[in-house]
Amino acid sequence: MTTYDAIVIGAGHNGLAAAAVLADAGRKVLVVEKNPVLGGAAGGYEIAAGFRAPRYAHLLPAWPARLENQLDLAAQGLAFARRDLPTLSLAEDGGHVVIEGASAHLLSGAPHPDAAAFEALHARLRRFAGALAGKLLETPPHLESPDWRDVAGLAKLGIDIRRLGAADAREFLRILLSNAWDVILDEIDDGPLAGALALEAVMGGHRGPRSPGTVLSLLYRLAQGGGRHLPRGGMAAFCDALAACAEARGCTIRRDAAVAGLSIADDRVTGLRLARGETLAAPLILSSLDAPATLRLTGVEHFDAEAVRRIRNVSCKGVTAKVNLALSGLPEFRGIDRAALAGRIVLAPTVAALESAFDAAKYGALPQQPALEIVIPSLADPDLTDGDGEVMSIIVQYAPYHLEGGWSEAARARLGETVLARLEAFAPDLRSRIVAQDVLTPADIERDTGAAGGHWHHGELAVEQMLTLRPVNGLARYALPVGGLYLCGAAAHPGGDVIGAAGHNAARQALREGRAA
Amino acid sequence: KRGLKVLVVERNPHIGGAAVSREIYPGWTYSNCSYVCSLLRPEVVRDLDLPRHGLQVIPYESGATFTSDGGYFAYYSDHDALRRELNRFSRRDADNYERYAQAITRQCRFIKPLLMRRAPDPVRNRPRDIAELLFLGKRFHDLGEREMGETIRFWTMSIGEFLDEYFETEVIKAHFAGSGIIGTGLGVYSPGTAYVLLHHYMGEVDGTIGAWGFTRGGMGGVTQAMARALREAGGDILSAAPVAEIVTAGGRAKGVVLENGDLLEAPTVISNMDVKRTMLQHVDEKALPDDFVKAVKRFKIRGSSAKLNIALDGLPTFPAAPADAPFLKGDLHASESLAELERAYDDWKAGRWSAEPYFDMLIPTQIDPTMAPPGKHMMTVFVQYAPYELASGETWDGPARDALAETVIAKIARHSPDFRDLILHKEVRSPWDLEREVGLTEGNIFQGELTFDQMFFNRPVPGYADYRTPIRGLYLCGSSSHPGGGVMAAPGANAAREVLRDLGIKAADRIAGEQAA
Repeated sequence: MTTYDAIVIGAGHNGLAAAAVLADAGRKVLVVEKNPVLGGAAGGYEIAAGFRAPRYAHLLPAWPARLENQLDLAAQGLAFARRDLPTLSLAEDGGHVVIEGASAHLLSGAPHPDAAAFEALHARLRRFAGALAGKLLETPPHLESPDWRDVAGLAKLGIDIRRLGAADAREFLRILLSNAWDVILDEIDDGPLAGALALEAVMGGHRGPRSPGTVLSLLYRLAQGGGRHLPRGGMAAFCDALAACAEARGCTIRRDAAVAGLSIADDRVTGLRLARGETLAAPLILSSLDAPATLRLTGVEHFDAEAVRRIRNVSCKGVTAKVNLALSGLPEFRGIDRAALAGRIVLAPTVAALESAFDAAKYGALPQQPALEIVIPSLADPDLTDGDGEVMSIIVQYAPYHLEGGWSEAARARLGETVLARLEAFAPDLRSRIVAQDVLTPADIERDTGAAGGHWHHGELAVEQMLTLRPVNGLARYALPVGGLYLCGAAAHPGGDVIGAAGHNAARQALREGRAA
Repeated sequence: KRGLKVLVVERNPHIGGAAVSREIYPGWTYSNCSYVCSLLRPEVVRDLDLPRHGLQVIPYESGATFTSDGGYFAYYSDHDALRRELNRFSRRDADNYERYAQAITRQCRFIKPLLMRRAPDPVRNRPRDIAELLFLGKRFHDLGEREMGETIRFWTMSIGEFLDEYFETEVIKAHFAGSGIIGTGLGVYSPGTAYVLLHHYMGEVDGTIGAWGFTRGGMGGVTQAMARALREAGGDILSAAPVAEIVTAGGRAKGVVLENGDLLEAPTVISNMDVKRTMLQHVDEKALPDDFVKAVKRFKIRGSSAKLNIALDGLPTFPAAPADAPFLKGDLHASESLAELERAYDDWKAGRWSAEPYFDMLIPTQIDPTMAPPGKHMMTVFVQYAPYELASGETWDGPARDALAETVIAKIARHSPDFRDLILHKEVRSPWDLEREVGLTEGNIFQGELTFDQMFFNRPVPGYADYRTPIRGLYLCGSSSHPGGGVMAAPGANAAREVLRDLGIKAADRIAGEQAA
């Protein structure tokens, strides 16, 4: 039996980041992944021969600088086909809007009437997000008996808020728990510009823009820096670079190695059992699975009743689906040229439409007009397809996990049809270009990645499940009640999106506590 | 009571605002706006000696929600009776109710001392603000690690998700959820509604926390007793005296001009109108800073409620209820699931009144026979949701008003077949009526949404949560100010304390919340 210093369960971006950080500190680390491919929800695959598409996540947010520096993925071959993608927000009347950072203009080149207001709002939100950004790479504090690190972190947060100045600090404290609807529409008129910003606030979450708390999820996105990049070679290349980074530091990665259960003695982990029967020993285990799945692997008998109850109550109602298309060529988008399609395209024509789409989803219906985030990565990175074709990756917001009647094949077809019909309004020849299509429902996401409810963030990014309450009150500092067992995935602080922060933080916390013990 | 010469000017010929008893139909007394009492702060009751001035509150100790299958869930304040009733549906729910009640009670205990205190300004460095922040911080810290987390959760969660954690029976959840949405433009699954529930539970009748009662003679009994206390202390009331303008000069309040042209001079003007009505309609905008005007305009006061007051020829029967069921004397409802409540909210968002409205229906004449002729009864039906503006473009003065009433009456009649025939007279109160008669903007019963961006130090606008305004000598004392709406009198008492402070007059110990805490 091989013995490791640490075993990481799951080779998604957080698992790999955690493994790399542990290996950096000289630990002998094994990563076990149940799938034959790496990357989890950040991975890529071939949708048809010669068409390489991102499976779920299709853009890479900027990584926190400290983590980026530590892992140095560029050294492992990570390059970008394009950085800081502009956003094209489609309008049903053809008045499409282009958003680059804080500036917005109409695709026609004409100024957007709300450009100045948007810029001011965006800049303000970025400043607020900046005050919170430091929290991304910190372990959530103990509130009752904080140690010096907790005190320093809280003090810094207080200072960062005060440093915004009186007017901004007031505004920050006003809108922090507010809803995207009010904060956006108080400043700009409803339309594709407002819709695109509201989509950022609700993406991946079981929330409509009217739901209080959606400003915080918007700030969470902006705290990452706001920019989103296309890795050269696709998300698969990014995952390969991350894996190479871990391996270069001495990690072993085993694919097709599903975990059957953890071995525990005297309330400490001693290793784990693989589904195919093998037993591996390690005094430290980091699980990048979500909280309920980790609970199941560990066994409920090792948790107290309150922890079990809380974990079972984690809100994780997934509402996001994915449609990947292999296309024989670029469809003709009416009035939009090739260059404009090479960025990030969103279809969220109004904030009100987003809310209506959510309304359908909350009762388990598929909305007629879901919001879409579309990327055609092959435009910036032609090597993603072998011939002249293109791949189109579409995230569908508000396809409920709890679909009335379940996710049958008919329901899957209906979802694909709904998305295509919605896009055909802009690109009438889209259907004739389709070589292959893959519709991935929230149920597929759950099956592929293990995320309960197919929830991208391993649990709603809501105030009551953030910071010291993530994944649940009492277990927010990565360590679980079983000695040597840590959560290192999106279920833990700071949460989802492909930024590796949870993995990094968990590894660091485990190292710190390992030293203390 | 502190020796100032005080005049109250009231637009209507009667006093009371939204706490009135009115004979709209000969022989019947309607509490035609607010209809039950619980939140009225005991500090105010004691300080003004309201019982001596005639205030009498009679608790009702049960309530029920009728279901479409001809059944009901009854709530009893008697613990054993309630447990038996919960057990009728689910043993698990009966067990979990104990935890639920504890959680609510703990939150009530935490919040109560904050009601009679001025909210601190977290941005300014005045010693008083810092002291208050330290007080709050200590109070919060004293809760302990676990309860600090629970408190954050409670203040940010939706009532729907909160109840989902405790109960499995839909009708039980629906019964409790009503208090989370009364008066707000939020749905049961909108984050922040758990707090709204707390806002309805933090009151008391004769020391019983969370109890509600009828004021003998109707809700006018509250304001009549207050008026007697005012007159006894030497104050005056001038009714039928609408204010045209609050007079200012050089940034100072000078008095008010009535619509009849009379100028009433005073160095201190305290407005019980909501912040929008006060600052945007009665003060010259040029006298106010731009930022302040913008913030006031942005303040959300959303009309979401309507009301029916009904004179009945006799007591309607409810076939679902056992003969002489005590719960018929309490609050009755007919919304049987959280989804039904959420859909009612969706109708409101779309600019329609709810097709299946939530109602809070009581027949106070069973307990207080003074409100109708012998053998006759009065019914009050609070209705959630009714939008201020109908998407159809109709006005509330046309057929819409009767159509709304018919929606509600038909729903009640489904549970009480003889109800319709007993109706002698009905008064329908649309959001427009509440606005026109009482002066509540949009007919919002709380003078502004109770969301975090408008609570505590954000109420009514950041930087002005201390009852003061940019005009020296002009104060706000209505529900637009901390701690918000309900027949509570806390904003009034708190504002008076601040006025006295500015005038250098020591407030009586009993009214000084600082010591009550």
